[in-house]
Amino acid sequence: MLPQRMKKAIADNPKKLANLIDLVNLPSTLREFVGQSQISHLGCFMRVWSYIKDKNLQDPNNKNMINCDEKLKSILLGKPRVDLVELPALIKLHFPKMPK
Amino acid sequence: MGKIPPSFRSAISTSLIRNPSSSSSSSSVTVAPVEKPAWRRPAKLKPSKKSSNTKVNHVVEQPSLFKSPNLSDAKALFSSLFSSTKRAPVDPNSLLKSYFSISTVQDSIAFLNYATKSDPSFSPDRSTFHALLLSSCKADSATLEPVHLVLNLMINKGLPPNQVTVDISVRALCSLGREDDAIELIREFALKHSLPDTYTYNFMVKHLCKTRALSSAYNFIDDMRNSFDVKPDLVTYTILIDNVCNSKNLREATRLLDVLRDEGFKPDCFVYNTIMKGYCMLSRGGEVIAVYKKMKEEGVQPDLVTYNTLIFGLSKSGRVKDARKYLDVMVETGHFPDAATYTSLMNGMCREGDVKGALWLFEDMEAKGCEPNSCTYSTLLHGLCKARLLDKAMELYTVMKKGEIKLETGAYATFIRYLCRSGKVAEAYDVFDYAVESKSLSDVTAYSTLEGTLKWLKKAREQGLAV
Repeated sequence: MLPQRMKKAIADNPKKLANLIDLVNLPSTLREFVGQSQISHLGCFMRVWSYIKDKNLQDPNNKNMINCDEKLKSILLGKPRVDLVELPALIKLHFPKMPK
Repeated sequence: MGKIPPSFRSAISTSLIRNPSSSSSSSSVTVAPVEKPAWRRPAKLKPSKKSSNTKVNHVVEQPSLFKSPNLSDAKALFSSLFSSTKRAPVDPNSLLKSYFSISTVQDSIAFLNYATKSDPSFSPDRSTFHALLLSSCKADSATLEPVHLVLNLMINKGLPPNQVTVDISVRALCSLGREDDAIELIREFALKHSLPDTYTYNFMVKHLCKTRALSSAYNFIDDMRNSFDVKPDLVTYTILIDNVCNSKNLREATRLLDVLRDEGFKPDCFVYNTIMKGYCMLSRGGEVIAVYKKMKEEGVQPDLVTYNTLIFGLSKSGRVKDARKYLDVMVETGHFPDAATYTSLMNGMCREGDVKGALWLFEDMEAKGCEPNSCTYSTLLHGLCKARLLDKAMELYTVMKKGEIKLETGAYATFIRYLCRSGKVAEAYDVFDYAVESKSLSDVTAYSTLEGTLKWLKKAREQGLAV
């Protein structure tokens, strides 16, 4: 179980916050999907999630799974089916930690 | 307390304790009990300071006519407005104030002189000078020189500074973090013109408590007492007690209470409420009741805040039965329990694992016509999750969504976690969407909670701990 304090810490940690909301220059694969050259980690997640909702890509039998279309596949490691649980982790891959 | 996991307790106490200090407008459980001592002062402030405050606001709200702080531009504009035979319906005072708010002190004074010369019918009044004073306090200067400049000007024009003058400058200086200058100014005023009134005095004490060490507030009080015979009043003591209670220094609070008695004051409802709040923060239920009994003994009539604090404190320290008893006492004495009262009690019940009781109370509350607030819902949602009644929790969430009631951070995190734990990831995403949409919490908080929970879930699955 994730302790409550840690959650609070995430919100309070300015470094983490910056990682989530700072604009980042995107790699070409992601650029095509998003349609712009810069986006924040958080913005990217929101974009992908609303894309999934708009296109009704959630499996009707199991809402927890996404049936990727071609466009989505290109940014989610080419997987045909993705679990919602993994979505944040997959998107995080595009936003590697900045070396100091 | 055996069956309640420790993380739950910390969750409740942090989420409930933190709220009152951070936001005064949000409707959290503790806000009502804690806020009382705070609103008392602004309310009292109004009668005497209303004139000054409206003046100040006036300056700020003024849509700036002047695009640049350049003096010659301003003069030209002034001439164009006033030289024409057909006078424009412009109040020179507001025009000047608008200029003061963007310009430097020297330019402002020059412009003021120009205005008085070019328009003989116009004479600056006290409010004009106060606007000027305000900008001089905000001037980028390490000393009080600009302030003195304006004050001398005022005296020359036959408008000696009064208590409103000192109040305005002190508040302006304090808002910029120049407490030492403010104190110096108060001393100077007390020597030359007038003693600070209780509002300025109490504001200063409160500000010192907030920004500096307690000793600096004591020094200020001693200094004022010794040099000018200005004595602290009951409100001052309430501020001090509130401050020491917030830093959990109950011993000092008790000492202050004795000092207050020695000075010949009789502690009133606010003082008792403040002390009671202090004990609540330490979860010392017994002491909370002791304060209540003491109040009764001294013949001080408890008010709604007293009961809310009492019930909150007892619930927090795990004495829900007693809290329940006082709800009845409260009703008997003719007070109407509000959302905060019920929420505190529900919180206590949920903590004991008595969610049924909490749900019953929720119905009772609605039946009595008391509107539940977002904190009530969040408390209940939290309790339902903790009691593993996820279906009920989903039901409640649907109601909340329909009523556009905001989620609170703690309840949101718990709800997400329990949804994920039982494999309802899609629902968790839905809750995330709602939290973002309803602006319950910031996008970042909502996302990092979701991300963290999912990360945990993934790990748990790998270890074969979750579905």
